[in-house]
Amino acid sequence: MIVENGQEVVIRVRGLAKSFGSHQIWDGLDLDVYRGEILAIVGGSGQGKSVLMRVITGLLRPDSGEVRLFGQNVKTISPQDRLDIERRWGILFQDGALFSALTVLQNIQVPMREHLNLPQAMMDDLAFLKLSMVGLPPNAAYKFPSELSGGMRKRAGLARALALDPEVVFLDEPTAGLDPIGASDFDRLIRKLQQTLGLTVYMVTHDLDTIFTVCDRVAVLAEKRIVRTGSPAELQHHPNHPWIQEYFCGERARAAAPGERPRIPA
Amino acid sequence: MLKRDHQVVLPTQARAPGFRVELKGTTFRLVATGAWTVAEAARLDRALKRLRVPLPPTPDFTGEMDIAGIAEIDTAGAMLLQRTAAAWEKTGLRTRYAGATEAFGILIEEVQRRGHAERPQVDRRKPLQFLTEDVTKALTGVWSDAVQLTAFLGEVTAGLGRMIRQPWRFRTTSFIHHLDHTGFRAVPIIALICFLIGAVVMQQGVVQLKPFGAEPFAVNMVAILALREVGILLTAIMVAGRSGSAFTAEIGSMKMREEIDAMRTLGIDPMDTLVLPRILALVVALPLLTFIGDLMGLAGGGVMAFAVLGLDASNYIDKLRDVVDFQHFMAGMIKAPFAAVIIGLVGCLEGLKVEGSAESLGTHVTSAVVKAIFLVIILDAVFAMFLSGIGV
Repeated sequence: MIVENGQEVVIRVRGLAKSFGSHQIWDGLDLDVYRGEILAIVGGSGQGKSVLMRVITGLLRPDSGEVRLFGQNVKTISPQDRLDIERRWGILFQDGALFSALTVLQNIQVPMREHLNLPQAMMDDLAFLKLSMVGLPPNAAYKFPSELSGGMRKRAGLARALALDPEVVFLDEPTAGLDPIGASDFDRLIRKLQQTLGLTVYMVTHDLDTIFTVCDRVAVLAEKRIVRTGSPAELQHHPNHPWIQEYFCGERARAAAPGERPRIPA
Repeated sequence: MLKRDHQVVLPTQARAPGFRVELKGTTFRLVATGAWTVAEAARLDRALKRLRVPLPPTPDFTGEMDIAGIAEIDTAGAMLLQRTAAAWEKTGLRTRYAGATEAFGILIEEVQRRGHAERPQVDRRKPLQFLTEDVTKALTGVWSDAVQLTAFLGEVTAGLGRMIRQPWRFRTTSFIHHLDHTGFRAVPIIALICFLIGAVVMQQGVVQLKPFGAEPFAVNMVAILALREVGILLTAIMVAGRSGSAFTAEIGSMKMREEIDAMRTLGIDPMDTLVLPRILALVVALPLLTFIGDLMGLAGGGVMAFAVLGLDASNYIDKLRDVVDFQHFMAGMIKAPFAAVIIGLVGCLEGLKVEGSAESLGTHVTSAVVKAIFLVIILDAVFAMFLSGIGV
């Protein structure tokens, strides 16, 4: 376990480099994610926000650099430890990435079936509980992903990500493609779940509303590294970087800033 | 998962979950300890199910879930506690929680609130109902397929008529592109397959006819078979697999991305731009490919004839000249344009039937290939009956 400033570091990334062909996306990227926070990764398009999530979760390999999850180096980890770590996180992909051949209920039970040996009645109880926690009606349980709207698919995806009560949840653009009401509901849901389940949330987002209303800390990807981290208010008041200036002080940011609308209480 | 203290890593034995029930004064207490998490849930579930629900002798007895000893808890653990508490409540014990931290309290309350949701009934179909429903669906599907295909043939014919009256509607570039893809690029694979099948049929023919001393007649067999059946069937099946599926995939993915709707709103008729060039290209390409297939089948037979019968090229060609008639060649060739129309129609129609999802694209591509091959074989059978009826 890595502890820094009295907080546990659940994910530590050091000196990460990655390129696709001749295009280098990062060079020496450092990032820490602390337990219990909601961290937003922002950056212009093509800066590798989603790629970073994929590298941390092991879907892609970095060219060089080190990723430590819960204090363990992913490169030297044994397959068994790797499985244990995979049980401790949940991932929500952009469009939910639900298995199309399974109903929502079966989707939520996939991780339980795969990792644990629970009786069916208990899996049903748990899945219905998760369904209700992410704000889906019980009759969504027996529907197939293709019968759900985009917002409902995201919620169902989140329920699957939460199936094993993970410590860390990765969210890839959780509010993209949702209408403003749906998006702000989703923001509230993330905050609520983070409180009840004690989650650490790592989210890739563009949504200024989400950043200002629920995120504790923002990490800015630019110039092939994380140029700054800080609370949304800090970044807005002291941008110190042209991209951050533009992002946090543009018209859209002013409209979304906390002065205009109350923050969802932590 | 919520921990009582973030900084403390529990030793393994302290993680082991457990509980005991005790009676203290007028309070039944369930004292829970260890890690009540989803990983331990199966064990806890079994143990809790064995637990007898205490029966309060008088109404002033109460219940208490003492969770002060719980180090870690998650929704599964909270749910198990909640289930037990609910069972106790049912017997008249008023049950409360003791020793919860603030975070534990929030989780337990949330689980308590969510636990009572009504569950929808699943309507399970009986096996017999399942069978009859599926059979009915399949049969009506065949009928509606036939209707759709006929209607589409009509549409395409009307489109062709329009194009003949207004020749500028013809898309030359698109036609040439499809001629290249469905025709020219299919030459190597079709040539190879027909060559090999020709050789195999010759070899088998010789082996089977040898006991009768009739092995020279294998040449007759190969020549007639290759020209009348094998050349056209193999080519048509190959083209159905290669180009029919490609038509469905191309048109289907355009349909999926609303490109076809966009075309219509721009005043472009998908019939002119997508369907007709493909079908016409196939009608030109398939007879040409069949001709190549025929030649390669004969060539394959010739090579094998040299190998097993010792027949050299000039003898083989002489023999072919005796056996083969222009009628045999035409009996195969006449089927090619019809097969092309079938493959093109099925491929394009299935593509246009694709709906929004990728699964739908996959199913339609599969069904395009299956239907096209099935119809090509039906066509071949019908022609065989017709041609033998008129004595060709």
